[in-house]
Amino acid sequence: MSFERFALDIYALSFAVLLIQLVVGAIMAVRSQSLVHCFLGLVMTLVSVAGLYYFLGSPLLAVMQIMIYVGAVCVAIAFGLSLTRKTGEEGTRKYGLAVLVPPFITLAMLGSVLLGLSEREWVGYPKKIDEAAIGQLLLGEYLLPFEIISILLTVAVIGAISVAIIKRN
Amino acid sequence: MDFLHTLPNNLLIYVIVAHLLFGIGLHGMMFRKTLIGILISLELLIQGVGINVMAFGTFLHVDPMAARVMTLFLLGIGAAEAALFLGIAVAVFRNCRTISIDKLTQLKG
Repeated sequence: MSFERFALDIYALSFAVLLIQLVVGAIMAVRSQSLVHCFLGLVMTLVSVAGLYYFLGSPLLAVMQIMIYVGAVCVAIAFGLSLTRKTGEEGTRKYGLAVLVPPFITLAMLGSVLLGLSEREWVGYPKKIDEAAIGQLLLGEYLLPFEIISILLTVAVIGAISVAIIKRN
Repeated sequence: MDFLHTLPNNLLIYVIVAHLLFGIGLHGMMFRKTLIGILISLELLIQGVGINVMAFGTFLHVDPMAARVMTLFLLGIGAAEAALFLGIAVAVFRNCRTISIDKLTQLKG
């Protein structure tokens, strides 16, 4: 077995492990009885989504995903979790016929996407692109959305603070 | 084995995984009992959307930069939403001493 083939095997195998980690983490995040286990499942999923961004040829997004989600949002969720925890209220609700709704919606969306893409070639190779140009784009072509999203973040943070400090009557 | 080697470069895998993540998140939003559980499921749902956008931007011949910028905005919106949601959850817990959505029925008519 040549070295290139071995490296290709490792590459594909790490991708498969990443996919398994993503699905297991997501199911854990949704199905666990304890909210702490849900949180751990969420972290697993977010890390493997960062890995998927890397496989899609974008190290920048992988780093941003780790920094924003695993670094900031997950820490905030952990604090919110420990501030609002009350035993006996965790877990999932009883299933009814409504359990069929998410698979139905997902399959309908997936079916329509696959139908629209059925003419296309599935296997492609991501082009190497220079991600340093994103900074130029954000301050040039996408300046307005960039400013709007910064205002949105400021408003959201101020709103969260002002909502959270309302005194109990 | 050749199929396995093309696995990381197959658009189909990314699309299926993204939809799977979306479906699992939707399931969680419908069946979790607490506000924090719903927030966790919502994050999964947004991640599914992000993977989908990146996969289409990378494999179909559209502008790959636009896909990256859009995914970055998605990350920002997700972070803002999580901050606001947690603030509301903490405020609700301080007022009602619970975040179980079966007991939060004050606004019910």
